[in-house]
Amino acid sequence: MSVAISVQNLGYVYSDGTVALEDVNMEVYEGERVVIAGPNGAGKTTLLLHLNGILRSTEGEVEVFGRSLKRLRREEIIRDVGLVFQDPDDQLFMPTLFDDLAFGPVNLGLKEEEVRKRVKEALSILGLSGYENRCPHHLSYGEKKKASLAAIISMEPKILVLDEPTANLDPRSRAELIEIIKELNEREGITIVVATHDINAVPELADRVYVLNRRIIAEGTPGEIFNDAALLRDNNLEVPEVYKLFEVLRCFGYPCEELPLSIDDAVAELTRTINERHIHLHIHEHTHEDVNRIRSKYEHHG
Amino acid sequence: MIEYPEIDRYASLDSPLHRFDPRAKLIAFLSLIFSIVLVPDLKVAFIGLLFAVFMLILSRIPLTFVFHYLEWVAIFILSFFVILIFTFPGEEIARFYLLSITAEGLYTGSLITVRAFSALILIFPMIGTMRFDTTIKALYRLRVPGSLVQMLMFTYRYIFVLMDEFQSIWTAMESRGFQLRSNFYALSTIGKALGMLFVRSYERAERVYQAMCSRGYTGNPRTLVEFDIRMKDYLLAVSIMGFAVSLHIASFTGVI
Ligand SMILES: Nc1ncnc2c1ncn2[C@@H]1O[C@H](COP(=O)(O)OP(=O)(O)OP(=O)(O)O)[C@@H](O)[C@H]1O
Ligand SMILES: [Mg+2]
Repeated sequence: MSVAISVQNLGYVYSDGTVALEDVNMEVYEGERVVIAGPNGAGKTTLLLHLNGILRSTEGEVEVFGRSLKRLRREEIIRDVGLVFQDPDDQLFMPTLFDDLAFGPVNLGLKEEEVRKRVKEALSILGLSGYENRCPHHLSYGEKKKASLAAIISMEPKILVLDEPTANLDPRSRAELIEIIKELNEREGITIVVATHDINAVPELADRVYVLNRRIIAEGTPGEIFNDAALLRDNNLEVPEVYKLFEVLRCFGYPCEELPLSIDDAVAELTRTINERHIHLHIHEHTHEDVNRIRSKYEHHG
Repeated sequence: MIEYPEIDRYASLDSPLHRFDPRAKLIAFLSLIFSIVLVPDLKVAFIGLLFAVFMLILSRIPLTFVFHYLEWVAIFILSFFVILIFTFPGEEIARFYLLSITAEGLYTGSLITVRAFSALILIFPMIGTMRFDTTIKALYRLRVPGSLVQMLMFTYRYIFVLMDEFQSIWTAMESRGFQLRSNFYALSTIGKALGMLFVRSYERAERVYQAMCSRGYTGNPRTLVEFDIRMKDYLLAVSIMGFAVSLHIASFTGVI
């Protein structure tokens, strides 16, 4: 697998002296889905802004497909890396959705016909067909979020970088957006980098997770990360509720080696164990203690 | 709730002016407006006003909507009128205590008022009959300088966002018991809220700029525009501009 993004020893200090990033090292492979998790103010947005050369630090190096961003012009970078901002009102700056979706492709120098085709496709992928002449201000927040993803998809980047794509969405829009991101990865082979603290979205969106808190604290599969209670506590991170539930079930004698991270995993796990052996949940002398231990483990979340 | 400035609220109606090609419409109406504000003769200016009202009726934009906008401007224009008729030097025709009204003052005051109202009324059939983004695109197509087009574009897009932001600051203040009074405390609080709004807009501007750069912005806005100008558009534009010119011929030759 070839490396899509490589970040080496990256550091960044804002002009007011805030140290946002320190010695960050990270690698994203082509076709992979990577989540960057971290508490508020961890520097996620700052890191993402480095991935397409909006912020350029003198400290460290960012490479996309083996080429250093320092030596690339912005037009070259944005062909490969598309960045979707957290606040859709920042992202959608043109008077109508059509103009907004056409903005990137026009700047890439594409022919009018091709631009129109791409706008149409991007809208249909996001389920926004027919919204061409809508003005961003009159869209709902969920529609704006989708539109800002569409505005990047119309540029057909090889790497899609998203800042908090699921924040402030209702459950349905959230699920739809996650599904679309997954499909872009599976069908088009687009490499995905997502910054989020929506921990329930991590199992669905991540092959691999980096925990960021100014520096890279840990790296691993979602399962590995969620297993490390101390790591999570130190970095104010949550664990999916299903995961906690199965941990509690284990105290009642449920046999489970690998705790499920999502409802789908849980269903599979239950089906398997119930088919294989006789499940008998019971309360033994340590159950109470064990449950209390688990609860206190996650106590820092209130 | 605050009221959004929506000059293009009736852009989706249908009228000859709604169907008028945006570029031709802008040029025709702008020449008409210029022509009317430069007319030196009151009678001719009055004809201009009648034509403006005719255009407004033709546009089908509800008159109440127009009056609502004109209310405030009217107060301004009328106070100007009052000042003029009392201060303009010339032959006295009436007197209120110490103030005298002169014939010249009355004439000039009326002329300016009529011109101003005609110009203001014409703005509605001009830009109220198409969506504001169409107006912006028409200007862009007419090769109006890019920075002006961008300014209009961003004003149009972000005025609502800003108003929402102010509204949310305001709600936050009110929900904590703030009441608008004319004392120092209230004023300084409002000052701080406006400062807050300023900081937020500044930060937003920075992020929007980053988002634009992320999509290849290099300093001039480029977009695709699809306008279709037809014979009838040329005809309509030429007749409106012909009317604009004939106003001046009329006042020059004194036929009216
Ligand atoms: N323009 C700026 N000027 C100064 N400091 C900044 C600026 N932007 C961010 N910071 C600071 O840099 C640090 C990292 O911010 P960043 O926005 O990257 O965090 P984040 O992980 O995206 O947080 P969140 O989850 O809240 O979005 C924070 O301490 C923040 O206050
Ligand atoms: Mg952020």
